Amino acid sequence: MFRFTYERPTTIADACAILAASSGKAKVIAGGTDLIIGLRDEDKKVAHVEKVVDITHIPALKYIKNDGEVIRVGALVTHDEIFNSPILKSAAPFFAEASNTVGSPQIRHSGTIGGSICNASPAADPVPPLLALDAEVTLISAKGKRVVKLATIYDRPYKPTIGADELLTEVSFSVPAGAKTAFVKLGRRKALAIARMNVAVLAVVKAGIVEDIRIVPGSVLPKTMRVEAAEAVLLGKKPTEKLIAKASRKIAEVMLEMSGVRWSTPYKEPVIEALTRRALTKALEVE
Amino acid sequence: MEKINLKMIVNGTQVSVAINPFARLLDVLREDLHLTGTKEGCGVGECGACTVIVDGETVNTCLTLAASMEGKCITTIEGIAANDELHPIQQAFIDHAALQCGFCTPGLVLSAKALLDKYPHPSKEEIKVAISGNLCRCTGYQQVVEAIEDVAKR
Repeated sequence: MFRFTYERPTTIADACAILAASSGKAKVIAGGTDLIIGLRDEDKKVAHVEKVVDITHIPALKYIKNDGEVIRVGALVTHDEIFNSPILKSAAPFFAEASNTVGSPQIRHSGTIGGSICNASPAADPVPPLLALDAEVTLISAKGKRVVKLATIYDRPYKPTIGADELLTEVSFSVPAGAKTAFVKLGRRKALAIARMNVAVLAVVKAGIVEDIRIVPGSVLPKTMRVEAAEAVLLGKKPTEKLIAKASRKIAEVMLEMSGVRWSTPYKEPVIEALTRRALTKALEVE
Repeated sequence: MEKINLKMIVNGTQVSVAINPFARLLDVLREDLHLTGTKEGCGVGECGACTVIVDGETVNTCLTLAASMEGKCITTIEGIAANDELHPIQQAFIDHAALQCGFCTPGLVLSAKALLDKYPHPSKEEIKVAISGNLCRCTGYQQVVEAIEDVAKR
């Protein structure tokens, strides 16, 4: 176990002041379900950490709000609370479902959405739905506040572009009217499985035409993101089994292009295609 | 390294203990409070042997920073029997032979307790989900589920 000191601020301002004074050597901890493993493993990714800043005693970070247009989720909300939130279950069911596939009940009681976003694992389950929602994150530091698209903080796995002095306080999104969603995950088993592959889809169909479509495969690309080349296959068209198959094929092609051919490719290629097809079929409600 | 004074309620009793800032809840329970019913299995949140109940919810103590437990209410396996009488879940585990080596049992019993405290009459599916974070390599789970179902029927 790496040795570190500990601070327990009770306000966002205090947390930011501590981070600002720590010259990059402090790390924020919430549930700890990822960070404690890294610290205990003496993982080089956290070798610089001299201090952990526990944000679990900041009540201002725990809320789920819907002001009619924008849904806001505080960084400290746990995966279990997301799954059980009536607001999220009805507005963004694929986000609630994805949160319920994280780890085990014990991990979902501790792990938070803020932690999952900041850990930036390419296999994070709640992240593909948030990217499909074009979610934004609020980052606060002693210098001020910035709100950026979630997609812009992911560049490399496990290294989000969040300043060492910044605290992620919120993830927010609006759901397009009439949107249908789907989340499909393949794990090695039902419980306690890190996603081998997952797919989130959000779709709006009006008068039989695909008006909006967002497809985000997880765990198969170097960074999790929407795949516009696949979305373009369906956008503005009547959703048919044939077009869904074509868009799903496109996801597999993009995976090959971006991630290259690995030992697991002969397995992953048909499987990601099938998972995408299932998610699209569900969200587009094609018989 | 400077120790931190941690105050929490463990099995209904207020405790105050000087801990290392990097100690896990598991370390404090076992080594400082000598509550060795909480087991360390995998140490990485996969097996659930270290499960306790914190403010009504199960958590893995191997992934929990002890210092973050300030003011929390913790129930370990030592805290569920009433005086000399076993908790109904403990008795049901014995009646149904829901254990062999016993290493996973404290965690399984606490996962079952957290479920039944919230939902006294869960479905079989809900029971399976509630214990899905607890690995048992001996029983095959059948007897465990039956034991919990038995308590849920009462």
